[in-house]
Amino acid sequence: MAAFEYRQAAEIRDMFARHDCRYLFIGKSGAILLGYPDTTQDADIFVQKSIENGLRLVSALRELGFSLTDADADEIRRGKDFVQLKSGPFDLDLIFAPDGIESFDQAWLRRSEVDGFPVCAIDDIIASKHAANRVKDRESLPRLEDFRRYLQSQIRP
Amino acid sequence: MKPLPDIDPRNRADFEAAAKRPLPLRMKYAFIKTYKPVMDDARFRSFDTMADYRKWCEENLPSWLGYGRV
Repeated sequence: MAAFEYRQAAEIRDMFARHDCRYLFIGKSGAILLGYPDTTQDADIFVQKSIENGLRLVSALRELGFSLTDADADEIRRGKDFVQLKSGPFDLDLIFAPDGIESFDQAWLRRSEVDGFPVCAIDDIIASKHAANRVKDRESLPRLEDFRRYLQSQIRP
Repeated sequence: MKPLPDIDPRNRADFEAAAKRPLPLRMKYAFIKTYKPVMDDARFRSFDTMADYRKWCEENLPSWLGYGRV
């Protein structure tokens, strides 16, 4: 499978908008949308956990080309905390309850919009990596925190 | 604009260079694809809780992938 690219992110954005899905880009893919220069493999999406949003999400994913069995679809609708999809045109991680973020609604209030992509605030991206506390998170956090300071310097008077 | 003093100068240079690139190009440079053993060997996985997912990663993925907790 080829690497994720802008065109596919735009397909997510447009399809999810058409289906009225509530989601945010999160993780390193979210940071990249905010301008962070680094490498990653997959796109991570923070999805609002609700029956209605789950139903809309399944419809959008199927229309994007993800092959979902009825059992897969049911697990997405139920909003399991973490779902990993490798059955579509690109790999996608669905995260319904990321570590370190209290609620989707709070993260939504803090979000940024970049080219129409809803993206978690850099504070939330960093908080989730601190809370996950994996080796790969520990390695990336110093640079991500530098990026947060850089973003803050750009909005200073 | 006054740069903050506690940003690594190499990182700041990277951030400033990235800011000059259009988003599609930033994404072209950022997303790569390499095979991740075990992780990439199933078409669908789901976990009831993030703790279940973290535990599965620690028990099943090679440690060098970096998914183990510190």
